[in-house]
Amino acid sequence: MIVVKWFFLILPVFLTVTVSAENALPTNTKARPAWQAVDGKQALAKMAHAMQTLNYQGTVAFLRDGKLEPMKYSHAANRGREQEHLLSLNSPLREVVRETGEVSCLYKATQQLVIDQRPFERSFLIDMPNDINQLDAAYGIEMVGEENVAMLPAYVIAIKPKDNLRYARKVWLGRQWFLPLKVVVYDLEGAVLEELVFTELDVKDALPFIDMKPLADGALPSQKSPSGSSAQAAFVMAAIPKGFKEVFFDRKPMHESEQPVDHLLLSDGLASVSVYMEHKNSAQPLVNNDTNGVQSVDAVNFFSHSLGDFQLTVMGEVPSETIRLIADNAKLRVR
Amino acid sequence: MKEELNQKISQFLDNELHYDEALDLLQKMRSDTSLAQKMGRFEAISHAMKSDQFITLGADFSAKIAAQLEHEPIYLLPSKKPMNRGYQWLALAASLAVVSVVAVRSLPHIYGTAPASLQVAQQQPPKALPNSPVEAKKPNPEEQPLNARINDYLQAHNGSVYVNNPNLQSMTRVTTYNQK
Repeated sequence: MIVVKWFFLILPVFLTVTVSAENALPTNTKARPAWQAVDGKQALAKMAHAMQTLNYQGTVAFLRDGKLEPMKYSHAANRGREQEHLLSLNSPLREVVRETGEVSCLYKATQQLVIDQRPFERSFLIDMPNDINQLDAAYGIEMVGEENVAMLPAYVIAIKPKDNLRYARKVWLGRQWFLPLKVVVYDLEGAVLEELVFTELDVKDALPFIDMKPLADGALPSQKSPSGSSAQAAFVMAAIPKGFKEVFFDRKPMHESEQPVDHLLLSDGLASVSVYMEHKNSAQPLVNNDTNGVQSVDAVNFFSHSLGDFQLTVMGEVPSETIRLIADNAKLRVR
Repeated sequence: MKEELNQKISQFLDNELHYDEALDLLQKMRSDTSLAQKMGRFEAISHAMKSDQFITLGADFSAKIAAQLEHEPIYLLPSKKPMNRGYQWLALAASLAVVSVVAVRSLPHIYGTAPASLQVAQQQPPKALPNSPVEAKKPNPEEQPLNARINDYLQAHNGSVYVNNPNLQSMTRVTTYNQK
């Protein structure tokens, strides 16, 4: 009799607590989708690892400013060696290879080979920092759902900026291999700025490495130069927006002349901003020197103005306000 | 005496005998079987006079019934008792629990979460951030050509130019920064 009495006493308490927990905690595993049990940040960390270590290939469409660029994509990995390979399907036909910080682009029509040093980039798909925690200062990462991309089930991860100095992103991550199937960048109004989406993606045991060589004598000299220190720059950054840090500096000729250009790259882990400074050159007309205008090319905003005897240009895939903020904080170095 | 007993039996059958006298009569019947048989006969006559029907019973009828009752098996079934007051409170508590379960399930917004609508909202594009001082104009129909310097900068800035910008010259548009 005592057992029955206690049972009736405990039953209402148990039922009330159980139902309250169900409603108050959406992360409860009972009767909720499987994707809610996956942490968005951990999933992105797995993605970064998968992108570096797996062999995969497919067809990817790059969409930017209304223009569609479909390309064949492959990533080969073997014993720490990595190589990305892109082959355009539409004109102008070109083949692009990225390996150990070097990007080679072969234009098929002219057989011209352009070799570019890009040690600060890792992928044509999405660049993630080594330490995913680096994003914490500027972004919140959240698993928001599950959808199908290229007939593959994918987790949807939202990367939301904590201020209006950078853009929001969404990543559709293949559930099986944790490879990015779709990446979208949104502007401050929520409109799509850039998008890439795979229409097919296969993971292979092994893929060949491409040895890119021009068929004719069209190779442009590689502009190899070791990454230097920003202490050499003709300018200093009085302040930079929260989350950004200096990731690369180089001084080298960029144009047909031998005039060197200082190039400082800032990054918050996802978005990057370049600051260029070079001596004014009468042969090169100044860009918008008489206005405060921020111009844009596709998703890239840029601003240029004179600073003493120098021309300063800031550009990046960030809002115009960020461009101006960085430009206003670039000061001539006092020696 | 005999006449007096007959009169008492008659009054007893007509339910007119006083309680004490009826009890005394029944005690006498227990010891005097002839008296009990007499009351049986009186009862039968009374019944026949009232209903015009009469069934003759054997002299040992009541004895046989009594014997059969003695051989009848006894079942020790629990008797129905009134509900304990403590159980009434338990029943009330259980009912309240059921009501709370139904109420909580039907009113999830009490807890500030609505799973279904939340999932829908999460699949929407991110909400627009507060207005920035930058107002991007619509693409200028008279697009300005980029100079070679900006082309070089773009190429140095981002490797995606090999993917997206094979022809940079035709992709320029201008926005304006409005200073506060």
